[in-house]
Order: sequence, then C-alpha cells, then structure tokens
Amino acid sequence: MLGNPTWVTYGIILLVLFFIPYLLPTHDLLLFEYGLTFAIVGLGFNLLLGYTGLLSFGHGAYFATGAYAVAMMGKYLPQAYAMEILIPAALLFSLLVSIIFGFLCVRHTKIFFSILALSLSMLLFALLFKLYHLTGGSDGLRVPIPTMFGMAFKGIRRPLFLTGTYYYFLLAMFTLSLVIMRGIVSSPFGKALQAIRDNEIRAELIGIRVRRYRLYAFCISGMYVGLGGALWSFVNGHVTADLSHWVFSGEIVYMTLLGGFGFLEGPVIGAIIFTYLKLYAMGNTEYWMFVIGATLIILVLLLPNGVSGAAAALWAKMRKGKKVEGVSC
Amino acid sequence: MWVIYTLNGLYFAALLFLTSLGLNIILGVMGILNLAHGSLYAIGAFMAAWTIIQIVTKAPAPLLYVSLLSGFFLAGIVGWVMEKTLIRAMYKRTLEYQLLLTFGALLLLEDLIKMVWGGQALYASAPFDLLGKIGILGSVYPTYFLLVIAITFCVGFLIWLFMGKTRLGIMLRAISLDREMATGLGLDIGRLSTLAFVLGSGLAGLAGALVIPTTPALLGIGMEPLIFAFIVVVVGGLGSLKGALVGALLVGLTRSFGIAIFPEIELPLLFLIAGIILVAKPQGLFGR
Amino acid sequence: MKYVGAAAIAVGPLSGSTKAWSQAKRATPPGPIKIAAVSFLTGAAAAPFGIPADNTFKMCADVINKEGGILGRKIELLSKDENGGVDAQVKLARKLLLEDKVDVDLGYISSASCLAVLPLTDELGGLIVAYDCGTHELMEGTKSPFEVPKFKLGFKSSAHLGIDNVGLALMIKKYLPNIKTIAGINQDYAWGRDSWLIFETAMKKLMPQVQVVKTLWPPLGNTDFTAHISALMGAKPDIVHTSLWGGDAVTFTKQAAGMGFFKNIKTAWSRGEPYPQELGKDFPEEQIICCAGTHYFLYPPPEKSPLNKWFVEEYRKRYTKYPTYPCYHAYQALYLYKHAVEKAAKLAGGWPTNEEIASAMTGLTFPTPSGDITIREDHSAVEDVLVGFSKLIPKYPFPILDPKRMEVFPANQVLPPVGIRTVDWINSWK
Repeated sequence: MLGNPTWVTYGIILLVLFFIPYLLPTHDLLLFEYGLTFAIVGLGFNLLLGYTGLLSFGHGAYFATGAYAVAMMGKYLPQAYAMEILIPAALLFSLLVSIIFGFLCVRHTKIFFSILALSLSMLLFALLFKLYHLTGGSDGLRVPIPTMFGMAFKGIRRPLFLTGTYYYFLLAMFTLSLVIMRGIVSSPFGKALQAIRDNEIRAELIGIRVRRYRLYAFCISGMYVGLGGALWSFVNGHVTADLSHWVFSGEIVYMTLLGGFGFLEGPVIGAIIFTYLKLYAMGNTEYWMFVIGATLIILVLLLPNGVSGAAAALWAKMRKGKKVEGVSC
Repeated sequence: MWVIYTLNGLYFAALLFLTSLGLNIILGVMGILNLAHGSLYAIGAFMAAWTIIQIVTKAPAPLLYVSLLSGFFLAGIVGWVMEKTLIRAMYKRTLEYQLLLTFGALLLLEDLIKMVWGGQALYASAPFDLLGKIGILGSVYPTYFLLVIAITFCVGFLIWLFMGKTRLGIMLRAISLDREMATGLGLDIGRLSTLAFVLGSGLAGLAGALVIPTTPALLGIGMEPLIFAFIVVVVGGLGSLKGALVGALLVGLTRSFGIAIFPEIELPLLFLIAGIILVAKPQGLFGR
Repeated sequence: MKYVGAAAIAVGPLSGSTKAWSQAKRATPPGPIKIAAVSFLTGAAAAPFGIPADNTFKMCADVINKEGGILGRKIELLSKDENGGVDAQVKLARKLLLEDKVDVDLGYISSASCLAVLPLTDELGGLIVAYDCGTHELMEGTKSPFEVPKFKLGFKSSAHLGIDNVGLALMIKKYLPNIKTIAGINQDYAWGRDSWLIFETAMKKLMPQVQVVKTLWPPLGNTDFTAHISALMGAKPDIVHTSLWGGDAVTFTKQAAGMGFFKNIKTAWSRGEPYPQELGKDFPEEQIICCAGTHYFLYPPPEKSPLNKWFVEEYRKRYTKYPTYPCYHAYQALYLYKHAVEKAAKLAGGWPTNEEIASAMTGLTFPTPSGDITIREDHSAVEDVLVGFSKLIPKYPFPILDPKRMEVFPANQVLPPVGIRTVDWINSWK
C-alpha cells in the first residue's frame, strides 16, 4: 500500500495542504475552506451519481439538515455546543432525513427519481422557511464558534479560529472522508453499486438487492453531504433556508460535473474550482448567472468528463497508449 | 361566495395546467425534464408585456389580446433554438447531461432576459382593465379571469384534438409510449421531438403571457410556476396530459378553498397532496 | 501585508497602512475611495428596490465627485448584486473587505443578507452600513435590556420596520377610531411575519376593542391573489394591514380592485410609498400609506426643503421617475459615510481609520432630503415616520398623500429606547 502511487500522491497533496495556512492570504484560505467543505459534499454526492447512476437535484436538503443541525443546537442546546457532539448530531440527522427521503426516491429511477428528490428538498425548504420561529425562516440562524475537544474560543475572531485550529480539523475530516470513500468504492458494495448503475436488470439477476443498495448509497451520500453542510456552517457563520432550494442543489451537481464524475477525486477538484468561479463571476459582473450558465453548457458539450476526465485523457495521450483507469460515462 | 372561490381555483388551475402541460409534452415525447421551463414562461411574460407596451396607445383593443400570443411565439422560437443547439447535442448522452444542460440554460436565459429587457418591471394591464368586471351572484369578478379560463379550456381542447385525432399528434403519442418502436416504424424522431419541444415551450410562454395583465413582468417570475409545475407532474404522472389536467384542477381548487378556510395551509398543502398521492400511487395518478 | 500567517488575526482594509500613518503625519491615501454598493440587481427585488437604490448610489457618487469628492478623494463605486444566496453574499462581503479592500460596504436589502453579513464587521475589521433591510432583529439583542452597539463597525442607516407598523397603528387610532375589525395579508417570511407582529401588538395596546378577523400568508412571488382577496372580503374587515412589496403589491392591488375589494375595505400599507407611482390611477384612493420613514418626494415640500427639491429633480432628470424610499435610503447611507469621514478627519488631523469613522458615525446628525437623521448609540438610525391617505389630485398622474391629512409621528413615539426590544417596548405602553 505504501508503494502504491495513489497513496503517495495523496500523501504529497496532504503535506501541501498542511502548510496551506502559511502560504495563502486569509481571504483565499477562507475560500479554500469553503471549497474543502464542498469537496466532502461532492465526494458523497458522487457516490450516488457517478457510482450508482442516480442524479438527485435535491441534495441540498441534506446539506441544509447538517447545517441546521449545528445552528439549531447553537440556539436551543448551547450547553451541548461542542464539535464532538455537533458532528455526530449532523451525521445522525442527515442520516434520518436521507432514510426517509431516500426510501421514497429509490423506488423510482431516472427522471422521476430526479424530480422526486427535487420536490422533497423543496418541501424541506418550505418547512424551514415557514417555521420561522423555530428555524429563523428566511432570516436564517447564526452559527457561533463551538468548543472543540475541551478548547474554548471565547473572544476569538472567527477568521483566526477558521485559519487556525479549525483548518486542521477540517483537513482531518476531509482526509478521513476521502479515505473512507475510497474504501467504499473499492469494496464489494462499491462494485455492486457500479454493477447496478451499468445494468440494473443484470445486477438483480446475480442477486444484488438493487433497491436496498440504492438506499444505502443514498444514505451514505446524504451523510457526507450533511457533514459537508455542518462543516460549512462554521465557515459561513450563518445558515438560511435556501440551502435546501433546488438551485443550490443544482450547484452541487454542477461542481461534480465540473470536476468530473468518473473519478473519485473529480468532485473535489470541481468543488474548489466552482467556489472560485462563482465568487469571481459575482465579483466582476452583474451578469454572473450568464457566465456560470454558459460555462456549464460549454462544459457539458466539450468536457463531459469534467476537468479530471480531460486531465486524464491528456495524460493518457501523453503516455501514449497506457490504459486510463477510471469510470467512463 | 363559493362560486367565486371555485372560479379563483379554476383561474389558478388554468395557468398551472398550461405550464404543466408543456412540461409533460416535452417529458413524454422526449424524456427530457426541462429545468429551464420557468425561464420560457418568463420569456413569454416579458415578450407579451413589451409588445403590449409598444402598441397600447396606438392599437385597437382586440389587437392587445392577440399580442398576448407574442409570448407564445417567442417562447416557442427560443425553445426551437434550445432544442436544435443544446438538446440535440445530448440525445445520445445520459440523463445527467440533459438536466445539467437545461439547468445551464436556465441560468443563461435568466440573465439574457435581463440583458434584453433590463431589470425594471414591465406593466401591461390594458387587457385586464379593458374587460372590466362582471357581476356574479352579488359578487364582482374581473372578466379577464374568465377569459383566461376560457382560453385555457380551448387550448386544452385543441391539444386533445391534436394528440388524439391528427396524424402528427398520434405520432407524438407513439413516441412517448415507445420510442424504439416508433423509430422502428419509421417516424422522424428528430423533427417530431423538435415539434414537441417547441409546443411545450410555447405553452409555458403562453401561460406567462396570460398572467401579465394582472402582474408585472419581473426578473425571476418563472421560478415559482416551475416548482408548481413539477408538483403537478409528480402528482399527475410523468408525461400524462390527463394527469396535468387533473393535477392542476386538484391543486388549484384545493388551494383556493384552503386559503379561505385554513389560511396557514397554502404551500404545505401542495406538498401534502403530493405526498398522499405518491404514497398511494407512486407513479402519480395517471403515470406509467 | 498581503500574506497573513495562520497565527495572525485578519486585518481590516486600512489598518496595516494606518499604523504607518499614525506614526508619520496623516497623509491622505492615494487613489480613489472604494465604495461597494450591494443591492439586488437581479431577481424580483431588483425593480422595486435594488435598481432604484443602485441608481441613487451612482447618482450621489457622481454628484459628490463633481463637487471634488470626499476630502479631495474621488469615489469609485462598485455596484454588486445581492442575489445568489446568503452563502454567496458572505463570500462576496469577505472578498470586498479582504481582497478588494473597499473602504466601506453599503449594502443589503434583504434581512437575511444583513443578518449574515454584519457580523463580518467585527470579524474582519471592515466598515459595513446596512442601508435598507427592515428587520428589527438586526440591531436588537435577544432579551431586553441588551448591550449596544451590537457591532462595533456595523451600522444601519435607516430605521427598522417597527416605525412603519407602529406608525400605521397610531394613524388608524387617530383618524379611524371607530373601526371594529382588522385583518392582515403579509408575505409568509420573516418580513411579513415581523411586520404583522409589530402592527398587531401595537393595535392591541392602542385599540384593544378591535378584533383580528383573518390573517393570510401568501408566499413570496405569488401572482394569484384571487383566493386571498375572496377570503378577506368574506371576513369583512374594516382595515387590512399589509407589508406586501414589489410585484406582489402591484398584483394584489390590481386583482383586488378588479374584484371590488376596495369598496368596503381600506388597506394600510407599511411600506406602501412606491406603489401609487407604480400603479398610477389604478391605485385606489383613501388607502393608508406609510413611507418607511419620512421618505417622500413631496415631504418636506420643495419650498421647505431645498435638499429634497434638488434630490427629486436630479433623480427625475436622470431616471425619469420620482425617487422612492429605497432611493432615499441609499442617499442616507452614502452621505452618512461622507459626513462621518469629514468629521472624523477633522478630529484625527488626517484620513481617519475605520474605528475613527465609526466613532464619528455614532451620534452623528446629518441632513438628508427627508430631514435630519441621527445615528444613535446602538448604531441604528432614528427616523420619524410619515403616514398619509392616498388621494388623486390633477397635478400628478398617480395618487399622492393627501396634504391635509399627512401625519408625521416623531421617532420617540415609534422607536423603542436604546437597548429595549421593540415588542417589549410596545407591551410596556400604558
């Protein structure tokens, strides 16, 4: 395993990431942290999309669940407002919501699945919006800085917290998520998912419980996305109902495609690029939606395998004939 | 009062029906969920508003109503362009790409609308004002709403005739029932798909246009109708025209009476209905 | 200065250079003053609020620059879009403050944006002035009494929605003391809920005999109010309170007029000032309209206020329409900054730091087209509120506020004292 090039690459990248706070200015570091949280989201989302073949335009619901789990604990259970409680809570609530929504969705495929996932996320949106005494409604809720493993951060400004201790925590969570996901997709379960994606009937015939496995994938992806949402909430400092809106879910899909859903690491790259893309579009033009939309269309038409797919194709060309590993779409 | 409540419900259902009908035609024939459907609604609204503003001082009254159709036509043209450039390229691709493309189109179109018509509100209420009010059982009701209900009824009837009795319509239905078989029978899938997309888009544009006399054309006007249309499609069944009708009526009437009796219920009511139907009949009322 | 290590606290835009200046004589920094103006340039709030406000920012910046700028430095205005979600706004605000190093961020129409972004002032050491959002929660603490100010470098240059809704209640008590029933139609989100809450609480205190017969909560962006209109008419209220805005306000009025709503019912609009101009003769007479402060193109009348006269004429010259309250709000924000910088510079003997500007802003009274405005210790604006009845007169193509029945309720009648929550204050009335 140590000699395996993938792990070596990971190791090098991890080392670089470790030193990033010393290399990047504050603003870029904060932006990068947004990217990291969405990278976790993308990893989870891609389990469902790239590996199981199910496209959900409603994953914002789980992101919102994770984020609101944190925010609402901050509001209603401040005595338990510690990272070591918040993260498991976010995972638990995301799991619950994914089980319920997932159960309804995996009975269907393709379009109906997508539309149903979308509608369910909009239901959550409507609830978050309407129950405003509980959730802050359209105003949303603030997310204070939590204690972490006994360390309190009283009086500390958020950027200091975020660029210091929190960065390393986030990095650890990201690394863990990546390693676990790699484990999942290489496992028999992961292979079964790909079999379901490629040929549902055949998979059923060889004994794979299709609907059940889809549900498992759905729940795992929901938990990942919820984790991303919870980690994101500290960086943003504020959560609002529009995290569950379908357009936000669309951004998750966008990132995954941008990075390339044929590769495990694709969505990670996509998440980071998209974070910069949207911000710089908004910062530079009032027609930023046009820029984002046009970029998406060009991407789909010219680079359907995303950045990672394009990079892999280039690499393959350069290595002349050596087979490229990965999943093609 | 109950007559008015019913009429209110029918008015809401009418616009909902047109939008969902368009969505379902495209879904049924092409298997594509057009996420930019709401933007086409918005294009119809802006076009109609703009046209009426241009001609309102010079044109005779009937022309104002005809000019509402400009929304139908422009939305149809934009739909045609979309189909030829984007959708066509993705026929052989998977569902993900089609959805992403239409999502990209949505973002693009929303800003295009702003580029063309600016960010100001466009008001074109002449068609509403000119028709005045009508007395119904002691209450007063704007005649324009009755016109909308009537127009929608006619459009629905025409589509039903088209789908059921004309060759083109039957071919469209054939494709939606079994695409492979239809290809095998020699139907020109390409041209028929374009027709379906144009028709569906035009219907969205028509709905947007019809709403204009009572509400200003504003950026983002298509977003809510899109969600409602999705709900109706889920409730009525994918690709089902009958489902669009029944779903729209169900939603429209329940909403109207719900607001009068349980005001808090509004949006959650919609999801409640959808939820009940999905639990009882997962494919929707008339879905396959 | 550009690279900040993990151990350093994020610094505000000027403080690095400020340290150098305070040692030397205070030199004026070179280059223009970068002012970010963030409003809705897309979406449904663009037409009624964002674009008029943005127009005003551009207009005022232009005028100030023509007069020589602020202390000789010209303003470079950066207009940004408030759309895209709160997550995008937080990122954008951080970019503006940290990377683009704007001198001040004047922004935000949506309460959600304000609530999410204002805390960044303390986090990043940047100056933010919230110019339009209505929520009273922005500057209020969770319990009375609360400590002020909530944000050291965060300000609100307009008063919150409390003044509008209390003003309406006071107006109704004065002019329509014999009504028996009221109802409400407000959008189902924080703005609508908060507006109704304050109005209802004030009415209960002022006119306890009045009954609430119906409250409706249409979603934002609703284009079909027919069901709501019928429901309201069925409940037979004397007055219907509404905080509807933008397209919803217009649609509701049109459809209601068509259904005979206004025959027996009056509406009381908490921020209704723009809609007579929008609807023209379609806006019914005798409706009670509040101006989100005293912002009105005819108040103070041009003879009494040369500043208002100039403002209205200049806006009309450039943008054809009469300015509405978002325009006045925008003016307030920009000129608050200008006056504060000028005052702070005098005290500091050179270009002031953010802290010095904030210090100058607190307690500052400055002239605006609507009258003098003061920023008090809790960093929010003290404004009187103007309420009137709509009336058509030959001179204007849309109803104006009937000059014979215009009431200005002073700030101390419609705003709670510093440190007290609005609702608690109302409940404490005798």
